[in-house]
Amino acid sequence: MSEIGTSIPNVTVRGPEVPRNIQALDPVFNVSGLSVFYGDYAAVRGVDMVIGNREITAMIGPSGCGKSTVLRCFNRMNDLIPGARAAGKITYHGEDLYGDHVDPIEVRRRIGMVFQKPNPFPKSIYDNIAYGPRVNGRKKGMDGIVEEALTKAALWDEVKDKLKQNALSLSGGQQQRLCIARAIAVRPEVILMDEPCSALDPIATTKIEDLMQELSRDYTIVIVTHNMQQAARVSDRTAFFTAEVDDSGVRHGRLVEYDETSRIFTNPSDKRTEDYITGRFG
Amino acid sequence: MTVLTSIGKAASPGPRQLAGRRRPVRETVFLIALQFSLVIAIAFLAVLLAYVISKGWARLDPRLWENMPSIRRPENAGAQSAIVGTIYLMGLTALFVIPTGVLAAIYLEEYADRDKWYNRLLELNIQNLAGIPSIVYGILGLGIIARVIGLGFGLITGALTLALLVLPVVIISAREAIRAVPPSIREGSLALGATQWQTIYRQVLPSSIPGIATGSILALSRAIGEAAPLVMLGAATFVAFNPESLTDGFTALPLQIYNWIGQSRPEFGVLASSAIVVLLALLLVMNSVAILLRNRYQKRW
Repeated sequence: MSEIGTSIPNVTVRGPEVPRNIQALDPVFNVSGLSVFYGDYAAVRGVDMVIGNREITAMIGPSGCGKSTVLRCFNRMNDLIPGARAAGKITYHGEDLYGDHVDPIEVRRRIGMVFQKPNPFPKSIYDNIAYGPRVNGRKKGMDGIVEEALTKAALWDEVKDKLKQNALSLSGGQQQRLCIARAIAVRPEVILMDEPCSALDPIATTKIEDLMQELSRDYTIVIVTHNMQQAARVSDRTAFFTAEVDDSGVRHGRLVEYDETSRIFTNPSDKRTEDYITGRFG
Repeated sequence: MTVLTSIGKAASPGPRQLAGRRRPVRETVFLIALQFSLVIAIAFLAVLLAYVISKGWARLDPRLWENMPSIRRPENAGAQSAIVGTIYLMGLTALFVIPTGVLAAIYLEEYADRDKWYNRLLELNIQNLAGIPSIVYGILGLGIIARVIGLGFGLITGALTLALLVLPVVIISAREAIRAVPPSIREGSLALGATQWQTIYRQVLPSSIPGIATGSILALSRAIGEAAPLVMLGAATFVAFNPESLTDGFTALPLQIYNWIGQSRPEFGVLASSAIVVLLALLLVMNSVAILLRNRYQKRW
């Protein structure tokens, strides 16, 4: 760890204190040649990456580099944007996510998502958690599901006495953990997080980061973040995206480098990655 | 501090350097013009109210809603058939217009692809429909609903015509209420594996109901004062019975008022004023309910 400390001050990379063998990559998503278009405009071009089971994968990069766009392909949230289209291939456990037979509703039941701004429904805490299971047809055992989800999201002790209260009365950090609990309640396999801490204060951020570590035992987590330290602290692998301008002057996002987090932050193979993480760019 | 005080002393003659100039004349004139416009609007309403209340006061008693209209004996004449007719008419109109308007609004806001030319055409035409004079809707009601569909000249034809008249207003206000629900709520719901209809039914609609209710009531309060389309439909101005079925002939308050104003005996003028007071009271009640709903249930995100 000392070499890390010398190369990038103030950044601790998730290291030996979380022992795991990340060499043995068990692929959940396999992305090859992914490009995402909004109309005729290619927002991201040619992304190849493999996302490992029960790992935390971070996607970092400057604004407009397409990291959120790629994230939103994993649960087909981009389908909701008129004119958005994905080319290339993403497989989920070997099954083509954009195959003709695939129902995006079914995809989203397996692959949950937490958004940048906490977006609890204007309902009680209980109903927020129960919403996912309910729309998926569950009727019985809801109390148990709610307690389990809130416990996993480290929120149970704070809210167990006020489950009937409106979720909007919670603090921002609590709301975000509620949104994570809401995602967990559907029992997904993957949780996608789109800058989950950018609207939160440092204390709430720490809690969410601890929670992510905890959750990565059971879930595959993909997180988009603007915060390099956060990527370094929580993730096993990091993908660095950047925005490039091609010959015709059109900006588009590209994946520059994808590797184990410790390597990205200590010994990146691409000059652009090094410039970005050392703060010379972006 | 020392620098500041020394500059201050050098630049100003005394302690009154922050007094500023007097308000320029142009600004004062503008302000007066603003207030004057407001006074015109309010004053006319106040004068109208004072006039009809003072004139109609003598006949603002239970006879008005207990008795049927009479041409021969103004001292016993009432407007029960018109009051009941108006209430039935509003109820039926609401029944027709609210579901239709809300469903149309849901389509336009949640499903319609705005890049398609026919959806843009649809939107443009709804705006236009809201501006069409009510008498034209009366002709539509007469030609299509009464004659071609053959529903006759009863309550249901009147209600359907009024529903068509206020439908664009209901659609526009329901769309605004639906649009006010933040997209993050829809995304949150869809990301949990909810279908689009589940998202609309369980998240979007409950959150927009106060806005939809407010808009619908305000639309109905426009319909309540309409006389022109009903005249076109041949609704009688003199009806001495309450409607008992959907196809019964009927009258409504604006028509009854019109009938009484046209009578030569001054007692009927008094009756007309008291009926106007009743109509305005109904209108105010509806608008108050709308305002109450808005203030009480309005969502803040």
